[in-house]
Amino acid sequence: MGRITAPLWVPVCVAIMHLGFRWRIRGAAEARREFRRLRSESDAPILICANHLTMLDSFAIACALGSTWTYITDYGALAWNTPDREHFAGTWWKRALVYMMKCVPLDRGGDRRAVGNTLNRILYMLSKGEVALVFPEGGRSRKSRVDTEAVTYGVGRLVKNLPGCRVLCVYLRGDGQKFWTDTPARGEQFEIRVRSFEPKTDQRGMRASVDISSQVLHQLAEMEQEYFDGRQ
Amino acid sequence: MERQEAFEKVVKILTPHVKNMKALDSVSDTTNILDDLKVNSARLVDVVLAFEDEFDIEIPDEDVDLVNTVGDCVNLILEKSS
Repeated sequence: MGRITAPLWVPVCVAIMHLGFRWRIRGAAEARREFRRLRSESDAPILICANHLTMLDSFAIACALGSTWTYITDYGALAWNTPDREHFAGTWWKRALVYMMKCVPLDRGGDRRAVGNTLNRILYMLSKGEVALVFPEGGRSRKSRVDTEAVTYGVGRLVKNLPGCRVLCVYLRGDGQKFWTDTPARGEQFEIRVRSFEPKTDQRGMRASVDISSQVLHQLAEMEQEYFDGRQ
Repeated sequence: MERQEAFEKVVKILTPHVKNMKALDSVSDTTNILDDLKVNSARLVDVVLAFEDEFDIEIPDEDVDLVNTVGDCVNLILEKSS
């Protein structure tokens, strides 16, 4: 359904970003190149892992990583998301709408079995060649910086169960984004940086998941440092 | 290992992460770790790793999905220890 209706809703979403919110994203061309390279390089799964400062980050990242035309002609390039059920899927029509837009709602901090089921769905999508976007900190950065101590096991669990899985780390921040907020400001100028790598670990079980998640968070923290160094 | 011994160790491991200290006064097998004790879900990682160290066991990710209450933790640990 989402694929069929993409020519209708993708241009609307992109127009909302450009004309409604008036957001601009520096570095989008480089990010798209790297994303395209990864997708053409092999069929191994790609998990996008991003820092998280606002509730609309995944929307902005999707707009940065592909054009309207890309998503209409290559729907697989649009990443699956795991938005918070409370904010984005509280009613049946919202659930239907976000599912059409490739979202699997997640009960953050909720029942472990439900969270596990959501992770398993994402795992299945990735194994079928789909792309997924997750936030390794498990929520918005409460310190307004990437918190390498906020290790959750979800990212590691996905990666270790997908042989050859590549991780595309995405660092996105608005110039005026001093703290975490619900939404970015209208007219915000973002900068996006991407870096890809293939996490490896010698650990087992939960420790393997934590090790991989930690590697991803450290990559994001490095990218954040480079972002702030570049602005000085 | 006795169930009571495992229960006490579980509560001891959970305690540093508990935000609702009042709930610890009446902690039991049915006490929900996230809802009653208000442990941050992100910190469950630390809790599970501490279980592995304390009881010298390995807990697969999938088993963590089944843990909601203190009793679930105790049952899982006893199962993995046996």
